[in-house]
Amino acid sequence: MADAHPGTADRLPGAIEEGELYHPRSWITRYVFSQDAKIIAIQYSSTALAIGLVALVLSWLIRLQLGFPGLVSFIGPSEYYQYITMHGMIMVVYLLTALFLGGFGNYLIPLMLGARDMVFPYVNMLSYWIYLLAVLVLVASFFVPGGPTGAGWTLYPPQAILAGTPGRDWGIVLMLVSLILFIIGFTMGGVNYVVTVLQARAPGMTLMRMPLTIWGIFTATVLALLAFPALFVGALMMLLDRLLGTSFFMPAIIEAGQRLRHGGGSPILFQHLFWFFGHPEVYIVALPAFGIVSDLISTHARKNIFGYRMMVWAIVAIGALSFVVWAHHMYVSGMNPYFGFFFATTTLIIAIPTAIKVYNWVLTLWRGDIHLTVPMLFAIGFIVTFLNGGLTGLFLGNVVVDVPLSDTMFVVAHFHMVMGVAPILVIFGGIYHWYPKVTGRMLDERLGKLHFWVTFLGAYLIFFPMHYLGLLGVPRRYFEIEGLSFVPASVSPLNAFISVVAFVVGAAQIAFLVNLVHSLRHGAPAGPNPWRATTLEWQTPETPPAHGNWGASLPVVYRWPYDYSVPGADRDFVPQNQPGLRRAGASA
Amino acid sequence: MSLVLLYLAGLGLLAGRWLLRQRLAAKPWLEAGPAVALPPSGPPARLGLAVFLAAVGLLFALLTAAYAMRVPAGAARALPDPRLVWLSTGLLVLASLALHLAGAAARHGERTALRAALLIAAAATLGFLAGQGLAWRDLVASGLASPDAAGAFFILITGLHALHLGGGLAGLGAVTARAFRAGPDPAPGLALCALYWDVLLAIWLVLFGLLFRTPWSGLIDTLCRPA
Repeated sequence: MADAHPGTADRLPGAIEEGELYHPRSWITRYVFSQDAKIIAIQYSSTALAIGLVALVLSWLIRLQLGFPGLVSFIGPSEYYQYITMHGMIMVVYLLTALFLGGFGNYLIPLMLGARDMVFPYVNMLSYWIYLLAVLVLVASFFVPGGPTGAGWTLYPPQAILAGTPGRDWGIVLMLVSLILFIIGFTMGGVNYVVTVLQARAPGMTLMRMPLTIWGIFTATVLALLAFPALFVGALMMLLDRLLGTSFFMPAIIEAGQRLRHGGGSPILFQHLFWFFGHPEVYIVALPAFGIVSDLISTHARKNIFGYRMMVWAIVAIGALSFVVWAHHMYVSGMNPYFGFFFATTTLIIAIPTAIKVYNWVLTLWRGDIHLTVPMLFAIGFIVTFLNGGLTGLFLGNVVVDVPLSDTMFVVAHFHMVMGVAPILVIFGGIYHWYPKVTGRMLDERLGKLHFWVTFLGAYLIFFPMHYLGLLGVPRRYFEIEGLSFVPASVSPLNAFISVVAFVVGAAQIAFLVNLVHSLRHGAPAGPNPWRATTLEWQTPETPPAHGNWGASLPVVYRWPYDYSVPGADRDFVPQNQPGLRRAGASA
Repeated sequence: MSLVLLYLAGLGLLAGRWLLRQRLAAKPWLEAGPAVALPPSGPPARLGLAVFLAAVGLLFALLTAAYAMRVPAGAARALPDPRLVWLSTGLLVLASLALHLAGAAARHGERTALRAALLIAAAATLGFLAGQGLAWRDLVASGLASPDAAGAFFILITGLHALHLGGGLAGLGAVTARAFRAGPDPAPGLALCALYWDVLLAIWLVLFGLLFRTPWSGLIDTLCRPA
């Protein structure tokens, strides 16, 4: 009885049998226009990493200017603004969002839940190709007359579409079109992720037996489906202001002695729309990271996650709260002080579920059998970095502290720590963790450790000093700070130091890329379950998993995903699809 | 803004009610054992459409908030001929009704009535879109760049709504083609169309009340504008 499959009587309506699955008939439909979520995940991830490399190079150029102003001739103020704009937008939207949801989401949702594929594979394929189109439109803006937009990643009107802002003619139009495409593509994927989680789970996979990775990705997808419409509306309205001369956001403006045809528009309206998207966006990136890091810590510390229910509730609570804090990005926009008080309160409340998560990660590690593998190093690096960035968030969440720190390097340091470095550490950890399943081969551990230590320590050397720069009053977004009366001379050598470290950290990513490519053929064979993990993706009949994932019949789930070091069990992990407890004295 | 918050609160309530039924207080670490039967739920396509429509609803709620923030109260409502818009609203109601009739016909196996109802729904929707097109022509002729942005909002909001209906028409076309062939059952696709049209009609009624003077405009104003 124990090993027999109970048939399909209790399967969910989204679950499909092997024979019902779409089967590709040619190389093109198998690997290019593929409807297999695993291939789509690899396509999403590769595209996101490629465009992320562009953003990395842009950050080098930014640091080149800040650390060594005037050293190279091709960086003028316009170029500098274009670099910071594109760096921010690419990293937040086209790298982090796409990689977590399109990459990890596509690969892990069906495999971790015991599904054969996403529920709507064709729509899923369209989602990737529209994302690729969005990326290509974005890249095209580097090659149009005037270059990409230099409006800052927040694209605030009116300056975003006024003459004098770099890329005003073409760049901003391509940026807005690219964002609109991205949102359309994401919505297609997002509907898939939600319905797959709700309806295509394997028999026995109740919601409270889902790995936290899935909880994080699922909640983040719901947030994204509700947050991106605001950006969509904002981008569309700005596009009309720019192209048709409407005045949604554009107030009456005199430019070079001439009155523009705009009038009466509300720039604050754009800020509201942007941050109604922008703040949930932080959690769209953070929640999948929370989920993945929980699974990495539990697996590599051979211990069940501490407080699973609290972890789930905290993810849901953070997701809900993230919709009522957006105006804390707008404390200096002249809002009613009572609004500021309200948004400061809601912001600080988020610290409670977030702190629960941090404590639970630490308590999971406590007395665990910690294996300092590369994924584990990145996971621990995440906890430290996220804690650090979260604490400065408490500073900035308070109106009275935020006002003097607004638009200083302190803000840059805060958000890079909390939603730049921390999630990217999880992405690296996740890649080191799941690469063996994707390719069947291990990534090289020595290169991985080199990559981790340079990236982790380097990120601290870059961003920790930036807090001091911010407290000294060094403003962000300035092309040049030399000669400003309120900036002490000691800032320059520190800026040069930060830049040198940034070059080194950037270069360390080459080790990662080399590792990715080299291990594809030359990595040690991984076997089906190299980390001895419990979750379903490690229990597939083939590694890498074949099309349809599970062979003839779907797996059946008998337990939660964190049965590590169960007392009396014959191994230190019990896979989710293993029936029977195999405890001493209590056999199946 | 309050309409957006109300909408989000409504979604939150639905999600919360659903979550409460998912045994979130279960202690999975104590419950190792045979597979637990999962509660049944509707077909995936219907859920997928519902999730999509939830996002679409928020899109339009945000547009009403933007409208209320940008367009001064009372400045609007001097838009295209309201009689035209009442007529096209009637056509959209007709389309929605026809889809429900088509659903009933499909359930009773009356192929002829099904086909007639589908054609009426498609024609009425096309009529609605044509009416919106006429309204836009008036507006574009009178100039978009009015400082209160009411005309620009009209074009933007109704344009997005029409785009969504256009996408729906593609689906309706597929269902209709299926109804005219002997082959597969059109009922599941038809149910999706009916849901889609109902929601887009509901959204349109809110937008209509916001953009024009209607009996329910006062209610919409209370929801969208701070007192």
